[in-house]
Amino acid sequence: MNDQLVSMITQLVMEKMEKNTEGQAPEVDTTPTEQSTEPLIKFYDANANESTEIVESRTTSLEPLIKLYQHGAPQQAHIAPATFEQPLNVAVPIKPFQFEADTLTESVQAAKKHTPARIGVGRAGTRPKTKTWLKFRLDHAAAVDAVYGEVSEDLLQKLDVFQVTSKVTDKEEYITRPDLGRRLSDESKTLIQQKCKQQPKVQIILSNGLSASAIEENVQDVYLALQQSLSNLNIEIGTTFYIDKGRVALMDEIGELLQAEVIVYLIGERPGLVSAESMSAYLCYKPRIGTVEAERMVISNIHKGGIPPLEAGAYLGTVVQKILHYQASGVELVAKEG
Amino acid sequence: MKTEKIYSAGIDIGTSTTKMVVSSFLLKNVAGVTHVPRIEIIEKTVLHQSPIIKTPFINKDIIDMKKIEEFIFQQYQLAQMAPTDISTGAIIITGESATKENAREVVHTIADGAGHFLVATAGPDLEGIIAAKGAGTLQQSKNSSKVIANIDVGGGTANIAVMQFGEVIGTCTLHVGGRLIEFKNGRIQSISPPLMQLMEKWSNPLSVGDAAEDVRVTQCIEEMVGTLALILLGQCTDEQHPLVLGHLPNWHKPVDAIVFSGGVASCIYENECTQRQYDDIGERLAKMLVQHEQLQAFLWLQPKETARATVTGAGTQTTDISGATIQVDADVLPLKNVPVFNCYIDATTIDYNHMVKTAVERADDLFSIQDNRSPFALYFSELPYLSFQDVHVLCEAILQHLATRCSKDIPIIIVIQSDYAKIIGQTIQAINPTVPIICIDQIKVETGDYIDIGEILPSGVVPVVVKTLAFHSK
Repeated sequence: MNDQLVSMITQLVMEKMEKNTEGQAPEVDTTPTEQSTEPLIKFYDANANESTEIVESRTTSLEPLIKLYQHGAPQQAHIAPATFEQPLNVAVPIKPFQFEADTLTESVQAAKKHTPARIGVGRAGTRPKTKTWLKFRLDHAAAVDAVYGEVSEDLLQKLDVFQVTSKVTDKEEYITRPDLGRRLSDESKTLIQQKCKQQPKVQIILSNGLSASAIEENVQDVYLALQQSLSNLNIEIGTTFYIDKGRVALMDEIGELLQAEVIVYLIGERPGLVSAESMSAYLCYKPRIGTVEAERMVISNIHKGGIPPLEAGAYLGTVVQKILHYQASGVELVAKEG
Repeated sequence: MKTEKIYSAGIDIGTSTTKMVVSSFLLKNVAGVTHVPRIEIIEKTVLHQSPIIKTPFINKDIIDMKKIEEFIFQQYQLAQMAPTDISTGAIIITGESATKENAREVVHTIADGAGHFLVATAGPDLEGIIAAKGAGTLQQSKNSSKVIANIDVGGGTANIAVMQFGEVIGTCTLHVGGRLIEFKNGRIQSISPPLMQLMEKWSNPLSVGDAAEDVRVTQCIEEMVGTLALILLGQCTDEQHPLVLGHLPNWHKPVDAIVFSGGVASCIYENECTQRQYDDIGERLAKMLVQHEQLQAFLWLQPKETARATVTGAGTQTTDISGATIQVDADVLPLKNVPVFNCYIDATTIDYNHMVKTAVERADDLFSIQDNRSPFALYFSELPYLSFQDVHVLCEAILQHLATRCSKDIPIIIVIQSDYAKIIGQTIQAINPTVPIICIDQIKVETGDYIDIGEILPSGVVPVVVKTLAFHSK
């Protein structure tokens, strides 16, 4: 649909609504109506809300996700027109809209403990209830935001990592051209060769991938825990850096460039409706151009509601140790382990 | 996928009978290939069931340990196993046997001698829970929302465990059992002390030598069954009731259904009473339980095991498997009989140092005998979401208060409910590389429980038995 058409229709609808309210409520000045500056629906700031979201979905909090305002006041004015000086509706305070509390049976509550899925939500006729639907839209919006978001400069500074880019120029291209996401830009290649330690035992790389919020939320804890774990095991680490818009197989080119023995690649996963901030750690022994997928391994689902980031980082250290010991990863590692 | 097999033994020394089972567990990583491993017991097979023998006594107050040991080793031979093959399992002393003079000695000695890692347990609440698990009632409660009470009626006590959705929500123990009055040649040979106490109020109590068919015997049984019904209905408020052992019921939901297990239950469901070679009130108690009007109001469910419920539970249901990402010093394992203290960390406070300090002090008060500081496990039940910095602060607090008392044999023992063991263990190691540490997670315990931690298995996990060690006195 083109933009012009959308704005035209919107305007038509708005005009019609205005007419309606005029006809129904003569005292429109004294009551807040749809024209008031108060937003009808309050959405929380998507980023700030994400962290609390996960907690809520697990504990079934009674807090409403969305605040609506009740506009029943004008009708009351019709019923009691006795005193013109002081219309009744002024005295009626505007109450934030509350969804009625869920009345879940014990068995549904027990079942809900075992899954983050939207079970026991009821229905309105053949459709989901408004609350369920809005929650679904909110989660969907969070997923979209995760794909189009960026990792903050602050975080990269805190982790003390420099930034390079893949051959991709913008998000649209990143999504439509995975092949470009698997190659470093020419400047990046030079930068990496200048700044990075050659032939490291373990090279850690980070990328936003398909979810910037995954990196924002988890990478610090995973990275610090992994660093500590490798240092406990006396395994030295190369120079960590961040790649904007990278794909998993980009590790092959980096492996080639730096001649790394093991690469640990922390990257944002494609967001879903349960969590938009899930991160994966891909590991590979000597990734080089032409490495087959069977040699890569992954620990996925790293986020607050999945594998706890800290525990994942600590565990990754032992996986790296195993890869170095068997000099293999992926399917070959399983075969060698017997 | 690779699996791993371990062997487990269960031994139940009860008021009137002793029995044993040997079983095998199959362990497997059930997490997907892209996940952190999660090792679980996926299959339990009972390999050998011993016959049910009479618990041997030297005299009224002393259990004949030698005879029990002989029995156990004979059963191992029949099962074609050596005690050293047994890498987990439990021995439980139940009912009135737990009140005998040498009860403590018996369980600990047999636990040490009869298996590579066999755990000594005792305590009426645990008994009820183990019986409920062995009878299959806990499993049954997962399939419906009903509140189910499992009543294990043995020779000396009736142990009630109430559960819903697969979780135990309360326990209670009564002096109700088949052997509280014993007969010989149609005459009463003995009456157990709780019953004597009960009859104190009577104008004409029973005494040894009275006829077995005396109406007052029936009256006694009626009283026992009546008390049981009152307890199940939540109508008993008299803590001093002579038939109540320990605390009153501590569950808060009405019971919907009941299941009986234990020796007396075999008379309820199986009608095998003719096989019972015991001259006591067991059969009459069973009959009364079936006929009692108030008990009939409950829904009656069938158990999977009756007489062998407790021993099956001890052999197959006491072992937990720790989380797969843990930090353990293999040299100090196995650890036995470690008391647990719950260090509650409030999500709102950040003063970990103070909380760990108070917890350690209180644990010392609780577990130390004179100035002898005994090792204990610090348990973190509800850790809030922790960042890397939080973990560092917490670990420094733990080290500050516990590192000084560590030695080669006494490690720092940390048990965590949620998945944090690897990072906490690893951080402690990063700060202080020499201190021995056992840090395990995904285990649920409570203050007052004891924990036994077995040796590390090839898959990197440890078997854990959470238990109580309560030898109630008469």
